[in-house]
Amino acid sequence: MKMHGWHWRHLYLIFVFALLYAPIFYLLFYSFNQGTTMTHFIGFSWRHYAELFADTRMIQIVLDTLLIALLASLLATIIGTLGALVIYQVKRIWLKNSLLSLNNILMVSPDVIIGASFLIFFTFFGFKLGFNSVLLSHIAFSIPIVVLMILPRLNEMRQSLVDAAMDLGATNWQVLSRVVFPFISPGILAGYFMAFTYSLDDFAVTFFVTGNGFETLSVEIYARARQGISLEVNALSTLMFLFALILIAGYYLLTRYTTTKRRQRRYQLEAKIKP
Amino acid sequence: MANTIIKFNGVEKRYGDTVSLKKIDFELEQGKFYTLLGPSGCGKTTILRILAGFTDASAGTVTFKGKRINDLPANQRKINTVFQDYALFPHLNVYDNVAFGLVLKKTTKTVIKQKVSEALRLVRLSGYAEREINELSGGQQQRVAIARAIVNEPEVLLLDEPLSALDAKLRTAMQVELRQLQQRLGITFLFVTHDQGEALAMSDEIFVMNNGEILQQGSPVAIYDEPINHFVANFIGESNIVKGKMVADHQVEFVHQCFECVDAGMRPNEPVEVVLRPEDLDLTSVDQGNLVVTVDTQVFRGSIYGIMSHDHAGNHWLIHSVHQSTVGRQVGIYFEPEDIHVMRYGESEAEFDARLEQYEGEADEKI
Repeated sequence: MKMHGWHWRHLYLIFVFALLYAPIFYLLFYSFNQGTTMTHFIGFSWRHYAELFADTRMIQIVLDTLLIALLASLLATIIGTLGALVIYQVKRIWLKNSLLSLNNILMVSPDVIIGASFLIFFTFFGFKLGFNSVLLSHIAFSIPIVVLMILPRLNEMRQSLVDAAMDLGATNWQVLSRVVFPFISPGILAGYFMAFTYSLDDFAVTFFVTGNGFETLSVEIYARARQGISLEVNALSTLMFLFALILIAGYYLLTRYTTTKRRQRRYQLEAKIKP
Repeated sequence: MANTIIKFNGVEKRYGDTVSLKKIDFELEQGKFYTLLGPSGCGKTTILRILAGFTDASAGTVTFKGKRINDLPANQRKINTVFQDYALFPHLNVYDNVAFGLVLKKTTKTVIKQKVSEALRLVRLSGYAEREINELSGGQQQRVAIARAIVNEPEVLLLDEPLSALDAKLRTAMQVELRQLQQRLGITFLFVTHDQGEALAMSDEIFVMNNGEILQQGSPVAIYDEPINHFVANFIGESNIVKGKMVADHQVEFVHQCFECVDAGMRPNEPVEVVLRPEDLDLTSVDQGNLVVTVDTQVFRGSIYGIMSHDHAGNHWLIHSVHQSTVGRQVGIYFEPEDIHVMRYGESEAEFDARLEQYEGEADEKI
């Protein structure tokens, strides 16, 4: 196949990507509008960005949202990793399948139902809605994602690796820390990033469990959009879009890091061996 | 035995209703090369796993230097294992793989470095320390696995079919290397294999297993020359096994003919099985042969011809000959009395040994 040859499938690809990205770029484009509507582009200006940075409430919400996402994904990764290890250890097939199904049901059930059930749960126990309730519910819905990212990696691991570590004198903890965790680390990393993005853009669950005085970005934007959207939101969207790009690039580089490091080491070695 | 290092006493293993090991008793002496030989599923790997501490015995005791070790966890036994799939840690390089056990024991860095390079030198992999595992060939990975085990200076090294993934030529080379390594280190090796050629080539002592039992134990020569039953005779090397009758001591009848043999100590006219190894049969002319057979097929095997033939009673005879024959021709086969080995039906190893002692004793008295 020639890379530069023209094919209908290229047109299709361009069409699909255009369709996916057009609304986003439309939004980004009008963040630089001098005017205040998304219908007429009057001229280039940074005024909406200036407004955004002057809006301390918005900045606070952005920081809160990031804090929630970081904490929730971190805790969900820890709990989810241990959960995946437990499910992996289960020998009885029916029990293993039941646990997996329970995990998957949480993944596929609608956010609205999860959100509503959390709301009922928190109010029933008299739990104050706010930062903590949002954090807890984000942790809860991120755990199944982490489990699902780590389990395949664990299943790939041969039992003989664990036997070998024990054979060489490793205690249970040393088997985990020196063999199992390094082996499943790509899964843990992927799980962490997935949980992070899920938490960052969650609306439905958060909408239910956030009380007065605490907002996350999606809830706030929703609230503002109902009053007629301000182009400040466009400016924020542009920044978030860039943030997402950086995140993806970071993840890519992180996963590539180990392989390149090893490759470099080999090149150095080969250079040393050759006379 | 003064230098017994490992002893199995009535060891059994059951999984629910299925019995995978029945009353295993054996002893291993220090510094010898032992092989557990048997078809897959015969329980040989289970013995290895019980010894390494990965599996519990359902009954019986395992002792190490006189101490019961049934309840000692795997990580506290002075026994190391080379796994069938090598089980090298993919996230560590060769050096870190070999150093794994020493690092866990909190050995100092300089000592680790010295021991690892010594172990790598022993398996002829000096200069590979910085390599990644996935950059190594199968044979190299296998040697890293051996280095990783011996660097801990175990008193017993267990090897679970470590050569099965290698190609034929490399396997033969590794057999020699493993044997030399064992002699240099002077530690006990317990090698598990289903390959009888491997077992014969390397071992001081072989345990032939089938269906969770040890059928016969002995040196390669003893097991090859005096297999105890049909299974062992068939499993070790190639055999011609025909039904016969023990007419009297040193007289055995098969294919309606009576032959002189060296076996004795059986009831008169007891039905027996007679084993003749294909390499002990010599092709000769019809009138000079002990038996007359017709050649059915002939296969060239490199150093010899494998000749399949049948006699007038319908028994099949495999003959190894350096000389070619012709398909369809009648030929004679010749063998000496020492080439005939007689097996009794259902005789255990203990009974066989007792009978051997008895009639060899009688023979000594006559002299």
